[in-house]
Amino acid sequence: MKTTLRFLSGLLCLQTALSCVDSQNFEQLDNLSVTPDMEASLLYVEATEAMINQSAGADFIQETFAFEAFSEQYVADHLLDGVMVYEVENTTSKPLQIVLEFLDASGAVLDSESFRITAAPTAVLRREIPYGGLGGRSIDILRNTAQLRLSATNLGDSTSVSTLPEPKIMLRSSAQFRFELT
Amino acid sequence: MRQLFLTALLAAGVLGAVHAQNRQLLYDFMEIPQALLLNPGAKAEYQWYAGVPALSGISAQGRASGISVNDLFANDGLDINDKIRDRAINGLKPRDEFGTTVQAELLSGGFRGRERPDNFYSFGIYTLGDAITYWPGDLAELVWEGNAGQLGRRYSLSHLRTRGDVLNVFHFGINRQLDNRWTVGARAKLYSGMVSFRSSTNSGYFLTEPGTNNLLRSILDANMNFRTSGFEAIRRILDDNTADQAAEIRREMVSRGFFGGDLGLGVDLGFTHNLSNRLVLTASLLDLGFLVHSTDVRNFTLQGRGEIEGVEAIFPEALSNPDREFWQQLVDELEGLIPFEENERTYLSFRPTQLYASVRYNFGQKNAGGATSDCNCDYRNGKSAPTPLPDYRSSVGGQLHLVNRPRGPQAALTAFYQRRFWNALALKATYTVDKFSLANLGLGMSLQAGPVEFYFLADNLFGYRNLAASHTQSFQIGLNILSWGRN
Repeated sequence: MKTTLRFLSGLLCLQTALSCVDSQNFEQLDNLSVTPDMEASLLYVEATEAMINQSAGADFIQETFAFEAFSEQYVADHLLDGVMVYEVENTTSKPLQIVLEFLDASGAVLDSESFRITAAPTAVLRREIPYGGLGGRSIDILRNTAQLRLSATNLGDSTSVSTLPEPKIMLRSSAQFRFELT
Repeated sequence: MRQLFLTALLAAGVLGAVHAQNRQLLYDFMEIPQALLLNPGAKAEYQWYAGVPALSGISAQGRASGISVNDLFANDGLDINDKIRDRAINGLKPRDEFGTTVQAELLSGGFRGRERPDNFYSFGIYTLGDAITYWPGDLAELVWEGNAGQLGRRYSLSHLRTRGDVLNVFHFGINRQLDNRWTVGARAKLYSGMVSFRSSTNSGYFLTEPGTNNLLRSILDANMNFRTSGFEAIRRILDDNTADQAAEIRREMVSRGFFGGDLGLGVDLGFTHNLSNRLVLTASLLDLGFLVHSTDVRNFTLQGRGEIEGVEAIFPEALSNPDREFWQQLVDELEGLIPFEENERTYLSFRPTQLYASVRYNFGQKNAGGATSDCNCDYRNGKSAPTPLPDYRSSVGGQLHLVNRPRGPQAALTAFYQRRFWNALALKATYTVDKFSLANLGLGMSLQAGPVEFYFLADNLFGYRNLAASHTQSFQIGLNILSWGRN
């Protein structure tokens, strides 16, 4: 009995007194890097061939509108790099050109992307533009973008109508960007 | 406001803890009066006891399933980001949890009824801080890796589950020995809540899939809430730089802890039944109760469903939009579909109910049955009491603990060996299996010198080899003044 008593009491005291902790390095948190890669659609533009034909001049769209997706303070502060993806699909009977310009708050042009696509039938035009990182355009372009200017020009006639159903020009786009949260 | 919401969520995650710890060492360790808190129907053989204020009924526990501090912060030369990705993001499951529970008695005591010596009354006040946070699985992965390349994957919002409270519990229990086979007891509890947070009924998902018009469609279907009480007063104090903030917070907490905050009611029930002279069955049901959070409430909700495919400019219809504020319209539309709102509505929370049960086999008879000189049943003083049962030095048995958690009941199984040495020392050793450890060896000691009793209980002794690598660790300590029936 005495042996049991000594053993159990000793075990309790020993475990408590001799408890130890392996060396921990909490300064590793300084190297913590949370950089999620997020993607979402950005801009969708669509114009019918009927509208193109009814336009007085060659430019059937000339619009500037606010676009603050990247210049929102939190996004601008944490944006690292990424890729803009564009797809242009033309089912009209005429060649077209679309120019998308990135403007800052004062209206100065920071960057532009031009798409020229032949009349239908034609393949979908796809383009990926990297920003930030090696070889990419400056990420500051996006950080400072507050407006987009969209121009679309008819490079053909204004009377023909495509035989395809619901002929129109479509610009699709999405963004895949990496953010640094810590 | 969003930052406050996110901060609160983060705090819940960081402070996330375990609700209602399993105190397998204390359960049915009747040399320690605090065992009555775990089974009001335990066989109390004291004449009276009093806990030494601030030195009795102190317990603390921390635990984390699936990961340990050492897994992330060991000085092993590995990149912290790799360790988090491999061991937390990819290693943990939504049922994994984290936490700590802290309890300290402000007042405790008990006495045997003068008119009804088969009744033992116990009472007290203790402060309890506890919480639970489950690993937010999908949400953690979304934050860590993002949604790129995850078309069609639904990130579940239900993975966010957390709750926690700091409260004072005022209790009064009655324990009655019906005969030499049955002892039953009940304890009434009045809860006075100081602070509370909970977010445990979330549902919905975030999904990215191919779009109809545009390349991608993002869908958020959310039914989320985060309820708090008691934090606004603290925030106001912290915002007031002219105040003695520590003193003000202390005053606020004391006020709320003594009926100036949220109030609730609860009850504990329990019994001990001697199946035979040696075989004993016990069980208790604890914290059948609720709290009404009606003071200093601030709740946040995110409810609704929204789908977006980016800014859409469809001509010629877009020309009729004079503002050309497509981006702002998109933001406004989304906020309309899934509004982030606040309210101060009263809410109800239920305490995490616990069930304990045990089967004990006694052996190593100390005294034969019947009246003996040091029989510990003499409080009956010869009154028509049934013949007392023999007293034993040793016992072995098994215990079950179930606790109601946000993701369903959680069980722990314990085998124990208990031994009394003279009237001065009692030891209890336990081996527990639960979701945190398959080798949880615990040891407890009650040492009595005259009327002074000191106890110390610690579990998962193997974890003391490296506390940082342990998934669960707890201790309980206390100092009581007590008088046994046999004294």
